[in-house]
Amino acid sequence: MGQVELQSIHKSFGPTAVLDDINLTIADKEFVVVVGPSGCGKSTLLRVVAGLEEASSGALLFDGRAVNALSPGERNVAMVFQNYALYPHLSVATNIGFGLRRAAMSRREKRAAIERIARLLEIEPLLKRRPNALSGGQRQRVAMGRAIIRNPAVFLFDEPLSNLDARLRMQMRSEIRGLHSKLPTTTIYVTHDQIEAMTMADRVVVMNAGRIEQIGTPSQIYDTPRTTFVARFMGMPSMNMIAARYDGDALVLPDTRVPVPADWPERLAPWVGRELLLGLRPEHLSLRTSPGGVPATVDLTEPTGSETLVYLHHGDTRLAARTPPDTRLRRGDQVHLDLRLDRATLFDPDTTLALPTLPADPITKGETA
Amino acid sequence: MVRSRAERMADWAVYAAMLVLALAFLLPVLWLASLSVRTQAEVFMGAARFIPEAPTLDNFARVLRDGGFQSYIWNTVKLASLGAAGAVALAAPAAYALSRMAFRGKGALMLGILSVQMVSGLVVLIPLYRFMDRLGLLESHFGTTLLYIAAGIPVTIWLLKVSFDAVPRSLDDAAAIDGLSRVESFALITLPLALPGLISAFILNLILNWSQFLIPFIMLSADDKWPISVAIFRFAGSTSAATTQLLAAACLLAILPALAIFVLLQRYILAALTAGAVKE
Ligand SMILES: Nc1ncnc2c1ncn2[C@@H]1O[C@H](COP(=O)(O)OP(=O)(O)O)[C@@H](O)[C@H]1O
Ligand SMILES: [Mg+2]
Repeated sequence: MGQVELQSIHKSFGPTAVLDDINLTIADKEFVVVVGPSGCGKSTLLRVVAGLEEASSGALLFDGRAVNALSPGERNVAMVFQNYALYPHLSVATNIGFGLRRAAMSRREKRAAIERIARLLEIEPLLKRRPNALSGGQRQRVAMGRAIIRNPAVFLFDEPLSNLDARLRMQMRSEIRGLHSKLPTTTIYVTHDQIEAMTMADRVVVMNAGRIEQIGTPSQIYDTPRTTFVARFMGMPSMNMIAARYDGDALVLPDTRVPVPADWPERLAPWVGRELLLGLRPEHLSLRTSPGGVPATVDLTEPTGSETLVYLHHGDTRLAARTPPDTRLRRGDQVHLDLRLDRATLFDPDTTLALPTLPADPITKGETA
Repeated sequence: MVRSRAERMADWAVYAAMLVLALAFLLPVLWLASLSVRTQAEVFMGAARFIPEAPTLDNFARVLRDGGFQSYIWNTVKLASLGAAGAVALAAPAAYALSRMAFRGKGALMLGILSVQMVSGLVVLIPLYRFMDRLGLLESHFGTTLLYIAAGIPVTIWLLKVSFDAVPRSLDDAAAIDGLSRVESFALITLPLALPGLISAFILNLILNWSQFLIPFIMLSADDKWPISVAIFRFAGSTSAATTQLLAAACLLAILPALAIFVLLQRYILAALTAGAVKE
């Protein structure tokens, strides 16, 4: 009752391609988050699924049935817009019930449905108000009520939280997830915020410049990014990228050599003598108390309370390390770092793709959860 | 903000220029007012008695009691409001299409519509007369109203397009998702939200139609069909100075409604004319 399949969807506005060969299958009741930088085509993707925008080519299937020719109303989708798009001249109750105009329900049944939704979202006292008499968070709930009431096959969210303050955003994140477990419905949720992607998604779709870079569970995306773009985009601070030459048994950095784990030489045989990009999350760099490892110079420390982020450089390479909260360092301090190579991802600097064999099976493209 | 001396000087220059302009427009009206409160005897004294010695409201009373005057005013009200309503009703769908749909030649079409407004009615007077004659629409308020509507449509399309442009597109999207057709979305979402714009377009048409002269002048020859503009012109051409003071009173009374509408509703009119100039 809600499988969505995009088959090589292309979309151009005039000469500019905005969506380029999008292939994506979303299982019934799955919560998929599409994440990417602003302008990468996320909204367009959502609008194509909704029927607000026509794909230039490609097929869009709902439960195996082509819906390309159906109007938005006929597709049985509901959408929550970034600016809420509530009808300003109608009351909250009318806004929520608007999608039921055509439904075969009596006036009383509609009234009851609106009240049930209002209870669910805790906005009962607001039903008589106009949207402009509501706070941002309340408008958000009304927009969700309008979407939920029609019991759609697919929910589409376009950056629904980006106009809210940080605390409310965090609260709504878990509310939307909670709602999804109460009313399991196929959901495509678009955001530029990688934290929303990591915390809300069953599966994450990372987009860049109109293309899908990677599809996977949040941990797959985080632990085994398929491209340097994904590695840099997901995670805060982003993954360290260290250019290094592989000489057969160690990675050669400007000022040091880092011996590689025992199982690498076999896998890296074709890379002997070539440049690689070593990708390491900040939590996989640690400060040594004794000399050895990779020497680095401290540029800046950021104590957040629960941890201290240390920004450093080794030669021309900028690095970030996640360290315990009691770290006391100052700009210019010389330190030594341990690299957890067992958690590293290696990238081909020419193709920007992760090397396929390291560590264990980083390829997750096109897989359905 | 502290303003410099030069800026203040410039302000005074602007005020002075505006005063001269205002006087140029106001003097005929003042002259009219002066004539309208004179007795017949004083009319002959001309400008020497700008403020009459024995001002009287008799002229107004006589005009207002006159059955002919009442009929002219009623004709004016009827033609002006039907014409304004028709122009708004017909311009609205066109303006909506221009606001919401992308198609080739849209810019040229918009300019074309505007350029129709630039053609003086005088240029098309004779063909228009023969055209309406062929259609058998001369001498009728129906035919006259159609021409009022046609005359009002171009500028009304532009005004309404600006109002529709100010209604966010995301509401169209929300309405489409809620299952509304284009027509429903136009009627239930866009129109109600553009209501202030619709009202001011109606008022603007009303004011323009109130002073419409050329169209009823060529269309209507029967006295009982004339709007006040034509009636005043006909009487001015046919009567002697013996009734000048009455004519002046009738003129003032004819201007009054349009003036009243404008003064009362100028805020709406200005809002419509400048809508979209400031976007949120
Ligand atoms: N209607 C349109 N006409 C022309 N270009 C558009 C249109 N809609 C979006 N675009 C372009 O497509 C690209 C992707 O836009 P969008 O899907 O809104 O990105 P995102 O939601 O990821 O920020 C942008 O470069 C934008 O300028
Ligand atoms: Mg967007």
